[in-house]
Amino acid sequence: MGGAFLPTPIMGNRMSTRTLIDRRSFVRMAGAAWVATLQPRGASALARTDAVFASAFMAPDGSYGVATVTEEGEIVARTQLPARAHGMAFSPQSRRTVAFARRPGTYAMILSTDGAAEPVVITAVEGRHFFGHGCFSADGRLLYATENDFAGNRGMIGVYDGSRGFARIGEFPTYGIGPHDMTLAADGRTLAIANGGIETHPDFGRTKLNLDHMEPSLTLVDTATGTLIEKHTLPSELRRLSTRHVDIGADGRIWFACQYEGARNDLPPLVGHFARGEALSFVALPERTTAALANYVGAIAVNRREGLVGLTSPKGNVAVTLDAATGEVLKEEAVAEAAGVAAAEHGFAVSAYDGRFKERRSAVAWDQHIIRIAGAE
Amino acid sequence: MRPSLALALALLSLAAVAAPAAAQEGNALSPRIVDEAAVPGVMAKAVDAFIIPGYRGLAEATTVLAEATAAFCEAPSAANLEAARSAFSGTVESWSAIEIIRLGPALEQNRFERFLFYPDRKGTGLKQVQAILARREESATSAGRLKAKSVAVQGLGALEYVLYGTGAETLSGKDGDFRCRYGRAISENLKAIAGELLSEWEKPDGIQAAWKKPGPGNPLFRDSKEAATELLGVLVHGVEMVKDQRLRPFYAGAIDGRRDKGHPRLAIYWRSVDTMPSISANFRALQKLFNAAGMESLLPAGSGSIAGSINFLFKVLIGAAERIDGPIDAALADEGQRKTLDFIALNTADLTDRLNRDFGGAIGLGAGFSFSDGD
Repeated sequence: MGGAFLPTPIMGNRMSTRTLIDRRSFVRMAGAAWVATLQPRGASALARTDAVFASAFMAPDGSYGVATVTEEGEIVARTQLPARAHGMAFSPQSRRTVAFARRPGTYAMILSTDGAAEPVVITAVEGRHFFGHGCFSADGRLLYATENDFAGNRGMIGVYDGSRGFARIGEFPTYGIGPHDMTLAADGRTLAIANGGIETHPDFGRTKLNLDHMEPSLTLVDTATGTLIEKHTLPSELRRLSTRHVDIGADGRIWFACQYEGARNDLPPLVGHFARGEALSFVALPERTTAALANYVGAIAVNRREGLVGLTSPKGNVAVTLDAATGEVLKEEAVAEAAGVAAAEHGFAVSAYDGRFKERRSAVAWDQHIIRIAGAE
Repeated sequence: MRPSLALALALLSLAAVAAPAAAQEGNALSPRIVDEAAVPGVMAKAVDAFIIPGYRGLAEATTVLAEATAAFCEAPSAANLEAARSAFSGTVESWSAIEIIRLGPALEQNRFERFLFYPDRKGTGLKQVQAILARREESATSAGRLKAKSVAVQGLGALEYVLYGTGAETLSGKDGDFRCRYGRAISENLKAIAGELLSEWEKPDGIQAAWKKPGPGNPLFRDSKEAATELLGVLVHGVEMVKDQRLRPFYAGAIDGRRDKGHPRLAIYWRSVDTMPSISANFRALQKLFNAAGMESLLPAGSGSIAGSINFLFKVLIGAAERIDGPIDAALADEGQRKTLDFIALNTADLTDRLNRDFGGAIGLGAGFSFSDGD
């Protein structure tokens, strides 16, 4: 299927790519050093049977890493990363875990969770940077990453082949701008992509360049052909509602969570769901919950076995659990600097910048996302 | 879509439950609590002692600029050209003293990009300016019509090219009439934008009210922590801007063991030799904001040394930036000056860290206050 996504030629842009190239050479060096520190023993430690979750973190000395964590929230093993990571992906088929650099990052680290293969560092190609999220194909062979074609201001999906050392074998558009999270839909071949709608360019760091004309959207894209299946834009009154994170429900519905860039005293809808061929439905959260989430959902996860949707807000210091069938708020828990959320044996594992992970606390600042690498589901 | 007082209170009680529990841990990463009582005063001082005076300075500088270019077009002469160029440098300095406020009115109606379009990716902006000059597009000589054109042809970069770029030698003679009138329109456009920025910030019930009174119902900040995050963000992003967007394009330091030979023509304001004056004005502005707003007062007792280190770094950075004078290509050819640039790059990285981690952590913004910034 690689032939379907021939990379389009990229025009050189001396000024902006210079910065990226410099960062890449940094990553190359740092990445090599990182790989050198990871002894076979360390690699196998990642796979200890009690490891259930993985999450990126910042250590007290300001260095970055990724750790595996038990069902109870205890760190099993940790490895260093050359720069801050953000989103994670895991394939039960290939037993590989990926940590993506935070936007506008240029690296992704692919770890072999069973210690069977050396870690792989991939770097963004010229004219592209990562947005911090991605996912595997159903068979675990291909890795899809959300990327920015910053000269063209369009979102792209980079396709990397795990059977060829994660060589980049192609790309296709996300059919939107500022893509962030994405996930493989229940059919195993469609990507559900959250295009946050915010224009950024590495020349301007993380500056949001188009807050007065954002274009958030959710798209379904066929991985076999790279073609758009459907695109859901937001109504004009919700133009400042950035659609950023997605997960899949037990019934195959796509759940999405948002971050609002408009007035702080508005109470916009923050979470919704849709299925192919259906319009977007927003969950009518109680005003109290919307306010508690501070107009900012940092992460979303579905516990498919129990029919629950988990939301976290580091700005609102809260974790919220919804009934996936009714959208009803089942639980609203104060969690200072709530970061990641992932389905746990019961309910959700919630992490925080202050080092909490479920009931445990470690001397790290957990990053925004948790991935489940073993256990239920 | 407006919140009720009841739910605002509910939010407050949530925050109150969350914060002390975390603070008890005594871990280096555990968040302290933002000094609720001190933040509104700091925000008010940031507005009254930095932002509004900064925009007032810009309004004045652009008024001088518009008058100088008008006088020059009326009576072209070497002396009047010199006066216009000097007013340009004055405007660059005033802009460099306030451009770190890249939020609110500066983000609306593309005001920031219209005032300064930089970096000029692929030289697109330069080509557009050159096309206007080559075709003598009359529509570019009225500020009102210029404002509807590309952001790249109506700001400081375009005016610098008019005053210093290829063909600028015609300005003092009759052939320079069109070029001069285009320059005058840009100057008037800059004056108009500066006036809008000032009046938006001066509106008593506008953005300044939101900055001064964080709380429920506030369109920008529901609480002091959100306000403090925005203010510290200005400093952190400002230092990062100087490092990544101003220094790095023309001098990348040592890469893979080799020292970059530099790219003087990618430097901002290289034609007018305002590159380093602008960078040093950026540093002075950042330090002024830090001190004029009294940000030190947000630190808990016993943490004053953090502010001391920050001020020390500002001082050495300003000193270093001012030591590099003359055209930037000459500076890049000089080993000693390149070492000074290395020194600046190294210390801006350190300063970012001190503001972000040390100061942000100490005032209660958690482990790296910008940790959740827009992701």
